[in-house]
Amino acid sequence: MTTATATFEYSHTVGFLAYRGRGFIHPIALTLGDDGVMYVLNRGGPESVGRLEHKRVCVCTVDEGYIGEWGTGGTEDGQFWWPSDITRAADGRIFVTDEALQRVNIFDPSGNYVRHWGDVGDAPGQFNRPAGITAAPDGTLLISDGLNHRIQRFTIEGEYLAGWGDYGAQAGQFNTPWGLTCDADGNVFVADWRNDRVQAFTPKGQFIGQWGTAGDGKGQLNRPASVAVDGEGYIYVADWGNERVQIFGPDGEVAGILTGDATVSTWAADYLSANPDEQRARTEANLAPAVNPWRDHHRETSARIESRFWGPSSIAVDPEGRIYVVDSCRHRVQIYRKIT
Amino acid sequence: MATMTFTQGSMTIADRVSLADPETTRIAHLLRRAGFGATRAEIDRAATQGYEATVEELLHPELQPDLEIEDLIRRYHTDQNSLMLLESSQGYWLYRIINSRRPLEEKMALFWHGLFATAYGKLNHAKAVVNQTHTFRRHGLGKFADILLELSRDPAMIFWLDNKDNHKDAPNENYGRELLELFSMGIGNYTEDDVKSAARSFTGWTIDNAEYMSIRASRDSFWPYGRIDWQFRYRDDDHDDSEKTFLGHAGAFNGQEIIDIIVRQPATAHYIGSKLYNFFVSDRPDEEAIGMLADEFTRTGGDIRAVMRCLFLSDFFSDESARLGRVKSPAELVGGTARLAGSHRTPEWTICNLAMDVNFMGQEILNPPTVEGWHTGMEWIDTGNLVERINAAGAEMRDTTRPGVSAIVDKVRSAGDVLSPRQLAEACLDAMGMFEVSETTLNSLVALAAPWGEIRFDKDDAVACSEERVVEMLQLVVASREYQLA
Repeated sequence: MTTATATFEYSHTVGFLAYRGRGFIHPIALTLGDDGVMYVLNRGGPESVGRLEHKRVCVCTVDEGYIGEWGTGGTEDGQFWWPSDITRAADGRIFVTDEALQRVNIFDPSGNYVRHWGDVGDAPGQFNRPAGITAAPDGTLLISDGLNHRIQRFTIEGEYLAGWGDYGAQAGQFNTPWGLTCDADGNVFVADWRNDRVQAFTPKGQFIGQWGTAGDGKGQLNRPASVAVDGEGYIYVADWGNERVQIFGPDGEVAGILTGDATVSTWAADYLSANPDEQRARTEANLAPAVNPWRDHHRETSARIESRFWGPSSIAVDPEGRIYVVDSCRHRVQIYRKIT
Repeated sequence: MATMTFTQGSMTIADRVSLADPETTRIAHLLRRAGFGATRAEIDRAATQGYEATVEELLHPELQPDLEIEDLIRRYHTDQNSLMLLESSQGYWLYRIINSRRPLEEKMALFWHGLFATAYGKLNHAKAVVNQTHTFRRHGLGKFADILLELSRDPAMIFWLDNKDNHKDAPNENYGRELLELFSMGIGNYTEDDVKSAARSFTGWTIDNAEYMSIRASRDSFWPYGRIDWQFRYRDDDHDDSEKTFLGHAGAFNGQEIIDIIVRQPATAHYIGSKLYNFFVSDRPDEEAIGMLADEFTRTGGDIRAVMRCLFLSDFFSDESARLGRVKSPAELVGGTARLAGSHRTPEWTICNLAMDVNFMGQEILNPPTVEGWHTGMEWIDTGNLVERINAAGAEMRDTTRPGVSAIVDKVRSAGDVLSPRQLAEACLDAMGMFEVSETTLNSLVALAAPWGEIRFDKDDAVACSEERVVEMLQLVVASREYQLA
């Protein structure tokens, strides 16, 4: 995928389906640490007793090193029920939103529970399914308050500072916002999920602009889940309902469309080498057959062709130009590179 | 309650009390059988447009919007986006039952799922079974020939009955046999040679990457990256295109021709008519009524919509002996109660508990016990699962923050500022759309409410207590014998 100034190339895949340990189960978001470290938040599900332990943070590296995991499902302090997003503050602490428990959990850099805040309601500072979270450059935290259809800003200790937005489709309004991010100037970009657009705001919440209309054409969006921006002004959107990533250039035009190119990760290769008959049959299979899905064709195509994104729920970029796509229904992270 | 006894053949309500006019009663019956019950407001709306118009509306689900919270379900339940696990997939279907504005579409999907019973247990691929139910939604009210054709192309069915192993040089008769025995004509209406010819005609009807998918399924492998959807593939090079004889016809048949011949058989018309009668009307066969449905099937070339219209407009369907004459399946009971209570209109994690309730009551949707589906009727009820049924329904009606429960409470309040125990019981039954109960049940409800005395809504300090009494009465009503019936 090219524009006049940048191309976006598939690099590799990190991941493998695993309920515990080295791998992911319905990962929903990630945040980046230092030196290529990735904190991958696993939502798991359903919420039956035996499956609660699947909900966890898997810590690994972009070059497929496995570091460890922390957290588990439950309603006690530090536990997850519907973990939705994860962000790392400048001091290394990690924050996780939980849409079922209506709170934000705080962990130290090693994953030890520190404290949490939040309760259900629609008053300032309260939540109705807190979805996305991001650490702003000024040290505050921004949270998309999903079913309250607004954005709220908190101190890093959870003290409410400000908020904006209400339900609707006008500029500055939201319908079930999900992922959000900031650029270096603190401008806020929100995946306005059920309005099929991305909106941008000043740090004070004044509307700047928007990208996307409903649809699956070039530049259109279908339930965008997450947004990231890089230092050159490229905007990366996890176009969840269209099972793709769209990249808007600084000029506002579509600079790239990614649909997924996953290959066998190191962790996956280890499994296949231990199961040679499965590996042989896989080698002989056509994993990209011609498909003829009957409905919801993007999703059904992704269900049939393993390499494609299926439920891309979160996207991040790093200063090295790497693009990380959380591929939630495929239990992996696909990594691309921006080439300029 | 003393009325909580269920024995074979005892479902007729002898001392029936009617709380509404005959037309409204008939419509409430229709909405229970053609869907999953209805709120009082939905019944009123249907009564305004009339019975026949309501039947037509039900028969054309495509005119109603598809599931409006599909995106929200997949958003909040990532596991219901992949549908990798059976529990997740059962929760997804329950959401559809609870929230669909196309109730007959969901009811037909349940009917065909029971008839063409395909189970997760052998496939280890929940989404494949879900995809099959989508086929039933799309074609369930269409031509029977189309249903059978889609079924024959359905990857879950191909896997379930081994048609992927049905080769030109090594036929596997499993699908050909069940197609005749369980899916269309019934045993005794064809020969072993017909089975062989049917099987040979379906050689080459397989799925993509059959070997790899078989290995994965056999070891329940979802590695490395989750399930891969199966997809139908016709392999002409593996199809036996030689001459065959089938049910008195001769030709180089492929599967399509076999289906066309099957659909023209009187035995097929009778078989499908009897299955529809059993599911939608009564557990007790009525050959005259089944004959009427079979005639309509034959007259219309197997048009299921026409057969269902004939059924819903018939006298035997609306007859008093049919009303409250069937035991609700667990999916009907749980889904219908959740619809009435207004729960799970926005995705909630507790859907998995509701799905487990259905399992505990003996109906693992998407995972029927055998190729013959479930044994229905009185077999849904035994001492253990009756307790499950009552507890699950009672739990749904307990929460007044649920919009359906709140609407019922408001409706009861509108019955009067002061309600006697009998007025309370009747108002609750009316607000829940239960217009027929036995005198015995009504008297039991009144007796249980008698210690409460009159409940009042005309004094602020009494309202909260009175609303609690209403909720208690709702829980008693869903524990009644009649609530277990459709």
